[in-house]
Amino acid sequence: MLEGKGLRIAAVSYDSRETLQHFAEKYRIQIPLLSDRDSAVIRGFGILNTNIAPGLRAHGVPHPVEYLIAPDGLVIRKYFVPNYQHRVTASSVAFREFGVVSEEAPTVTLRSGALTIVLGLSTARAFAGQEISFFAKFALEPGWHVYGAPLPEGCTTTSVMFDGPAIVRQSFDLPPAAPMRVNFLEETVPVYSGSFQGLGSLLLKFPLDAGKIMLAGRVSFQQCSDTVCEPPEAIEFELPLILEPFMVAIRSK
Amino acid sequence: MANNIPEDLQEKAAIMQEFGRLRAAGQPVPAELQAKHVNATNDRYATGPEAGERIPDFSLPDQEGVLRSVANLSGPNGLLLVFYRSADW
Repeated sequence: MLEGKGLRIAAVSYDSRETLQHFAEKYRIQIPLLSDRDSAVIRGFGILNTNIAPGLRAHGVPHPVEYLIAPDGLVIRKYFVPNYQHRVTASSVAFREFGVVSEEAPTVTLRSGALTIVLGLSTARAFAGQEISFFAKFALEPGWHVYGAPLPEGCTTTSVMFDGPAIVRQSFDLPPAAPMRVNFLEETVPVYSGSFQGLGSLLLKFPLDAGKIMLAGRVSFQQCSDTVCEPPEAIEFELPLILEPFMVAIRSK
Repeated sequence: MANNIPEDLQEKAAIMQEFGRLRAAGQPVPAELQAKHVNATNDRYATGPEAGERIPDFSLPDQEGVLRSVANLSGPNGLLLVFYRSADW
């Protein structure tokens, strides 16, 4: 997915070359797995995990940071979740940086009145503990709007919220809304009209059992025209996600 | 553990060893120990070079033993470099 955008992936750990060779063969991994045996490069990046005492097996591991690096060596962006159990997925990077969505990634279309919403995940498959992305594309018929934030009391902001035990953290961001004078509110409020898109992230719990799960959520909004305002609505949806089995490490000893 | 190890590392080591012992024995890890383990592992975490900064030059062997650097790892638009804990455990 990233290759098509002229990017390559490589991974660094403190494992021996032999361990990495076994691991790559077992899981048919084709990206370069680099062996930083004495953690010198990990130290050079300043990301050595200094919490782990000498003598412990994990002494020498890094904090799990991911960097998007330009060919000239400058960091474009970095990704880090401050919990060693969590990682940002390559699919999420491809989606956020380039708008690339895997072909098999699930989407769902919701309709109500003048509004059509297409929701989708950045990927069809993920591992427990990973952070994936989702998008929500909104399209309103001419003359209609929904609300942004902040809003006066009694109005419903447009939002997407997932729930269920598989998600430990989430975010959803919409572009800035345009101010509009609403006569019956006697106020200027932020609104969206036409087509617009929001972007969100979902941090998956760790651990989770492998298999297919349904990620449930709801879109909340209130659609109004210049003359009428519909009551606030919340449409529920579900998107399937396949959780991959945990990759069992090669135990060299 | 050796005596010259700072006290806070010894405390963290005790948590990590207990966590590792339960995991190795296939026993459930109590939520409290799990949380302590996450906190001990992530304490004072560091994330290295910021966006716009240059990464340190390096060359490392890949799984085939071929020495690789950013120049020969990168695609025309760049490289996603992933640091992870281990493929060994």
